[in-house]
Amino acid sequence: MLDRRLLLVSGKGGVGKSAIAAALAIVAARQGRRVLALAMTEETGLAAHLGVDALPYEPVGIRPGLSGAAIERSAALDEYLKLQLRVPTALPTGQLSRALSVLVDTAPGIREIITMGKPIYEVWRGHWDLVVADAPPLGQLQSYLDAPKTITGLVPTGTVREQAARLARTLADPHESALLLITTPEELSVLETREATAAIDEERSVLIAGIWANRVIDPLDVPSTRIEGLPDSPARSAALLHSGLASAQAPWLEAIPGDPRIPFLFGVRTPAEVSARLADLCEECV
Amino acid sequence: MRHPQTVIVTGAGGVGKTTISAATAVRLARPDRRTLVMTVDPARRLADALDLRALSNEPSPVPGIGGLWAATLDVTASWEAVIQRYSDPDVADRLLENPYFRAIADRFPAAQSFAAAETMATLVESGTWDAIVVDTPPSAGGLDFFLAPSHTADLVGGKLLHWITGAQLPGRRFLYRFTGRPILRIADTVLGGPLLEDVAEFLLDLRTMYDRLAERAATIQRHQRRAATVVVTTADPAPLAEVLRFFEELTEVAVHPDAVILNRALPVAWVDAAARPLRGLSDDPALRAALKANLARWGGEARRQAKALEGLAGRYGVPLLTVPWVAEPPTSVESLSWLLDDVANLDAVIAGD
Repeated sequence: MLDRRLLLVSGKGGVGKSAIAAALAIVAARQGRRVLALAMTEETGLAAHLGVDALPYEPVGIRPGLSGAAIERSAALDEYLKLQLRVPTALPTGQLSRALSVLVDTAPGIREIITMGKPIYEVWRGHWDLVVADAPPLGQLQSYLDAPKTITGLVPTGTVREQAARLARTLADPHESALLLITTPEELSVLETREATAAIDEERSVLIAGIWANRVIDPLDVPSTRIEGLPDSPARSAALLHSGLASAQAPWLEAIPGDPRIPFLFGVRTPAEVSARLADLCEECV
Repeated sequence: MRHPQTVIVTGAGGVGKTTISAATAVRLARPDRRTLVMTVDPARRLADALDLRALSNEPSPVPGIGGLWAATLDVTASWEAVIQRYSDPDVADRLLENPYFRAIADRFPAAQSFAAAETMATLVESGTWDAIVVDTPPSAGGLDFFLAPSHTADLVGGKLLHWITGAQLPGRRFLYRFTGRPILRIADTVLGGPLLEDVAEFLLDLRTMYDRLAERAATIQRHQRRAATVVVTTADPAPLAEVLRFFEELTEVAVHPDAVILNRALPVAWVDAAARPLRGLSDDPALRAALKANLARWGGEARRQAKALEGLAGRYGVPLLTVPWVAEPPTSVESLSWLLDDVANLDAVIAGD
């Protein structure tokens, strides 16, 4: 899982993808790799799970071997124009990217390719053994993965097209890049993951290296008939809730292939504590 | 015009908004009070319970509950209706055929939110309903539902065209000469000429709708302010952070939420119960040990919830209503009607009192 240069982590909103992305980055750094944890959306989930208030656009060191960064749209556009497309800088880049930001918001594929370009650009830069990207949520992921193709369909020639083709090659190379999908064992998340998996496999935009079940509640070692017979008390209610959640999850767990199954973490308070605990658990799964 | 009682149910993704919306509508519906719940992306089993078979803005009656109807937001259909209603016929045809129309309607989170808000307004004005419950797209923690009307009008207002042409609405011929400007020559090199022209032409057509759309945005926002708004969350850090952001940014549109609903709440009593010895529960030591260990971890989770909520309760002067964590999400209209039974004050809140 951690042997390639780029690992994208995605999943339906609220399933814990940022926490697991942070945990995997922590594990890889513990193993002695130079790691960049990169937030591809402007939410602060990854930062909190890395134990910092916010992540800047330029990577900063967080702990030995681990750096963090977050996409910031206008900075990403600037960088894209300057470095990747080698736009002549006769005009101040700020002005150009401000003007172009309207286009970026409107034209299909442009915003996505700039966002998609950042983690791949960091791979090309060669400063890192591994880039772990907290990718956009599953609902939007497709349009990001397909952006290089969208662009090559819309733009007949030019630098943008060449650049898009190069991005697509790195993303599709199974030795360089992979995608990890996170789901909880619940209907909406599992079904959405299944749909996305089928679509990504068909497009062959990136290798899906795994589908992990998060917040799994293991059944109690006590039959629920015995619990139901007990006198009413918090212990009985908690046991009934636990057994009920476990059996509600069971059919959806069956629908997710294989290991690992990451347990629900009871009573863990801060996001940084969550990712530290997950990192300990993940050390075995990767 | 007599306005229906309207409830907007908002919040981050994955917190149970759609279920709470349906349960609220079940509570409101009576044979003599025609009630509609407009859902967004319901889970299959909830859709089955409401007898929703496909995406459609057309309400259909919910079996088993007199007076209750349901629909599922169809974003593309809502946008088609907007374009038919607010642009000139020939422009409408051109817009609907433009590839960017589909791309924009499908991809922009704000476009989905605008569709939801516009559809709500249309339903409010239809005169058909006594009560309407609106589930909202999770984009930006629900904020986009309130911000999208004015933001969409701004986008259609044509920042790009202003920048290209100045304040005048240009003619089409002018548009084709726009690469005469140096900044556009660069954009043209970078993006490729055809792309830039296509986008500009699309925005130019959209811009003809600006006046009507801006007026409409103001009307939608009046309907939103008149409705009761409840924000649904769980005690998890990410949705709680969204709630705080929601309150801070909502002042921009002068909407004030009427309540926060905490979903999947655990009983506070579990925190202390976990610390006490179990008495009189069972004579079987193995069973007692298993239940004690289980109560200990759930007590720990209940304590985490209580801590996480400390900053929220009463912070914005709105009531915090709790909905207990249930093992199986409600999948029938009967279980939907029980879900909110013990939620004190809910009826007063949604009545807008």
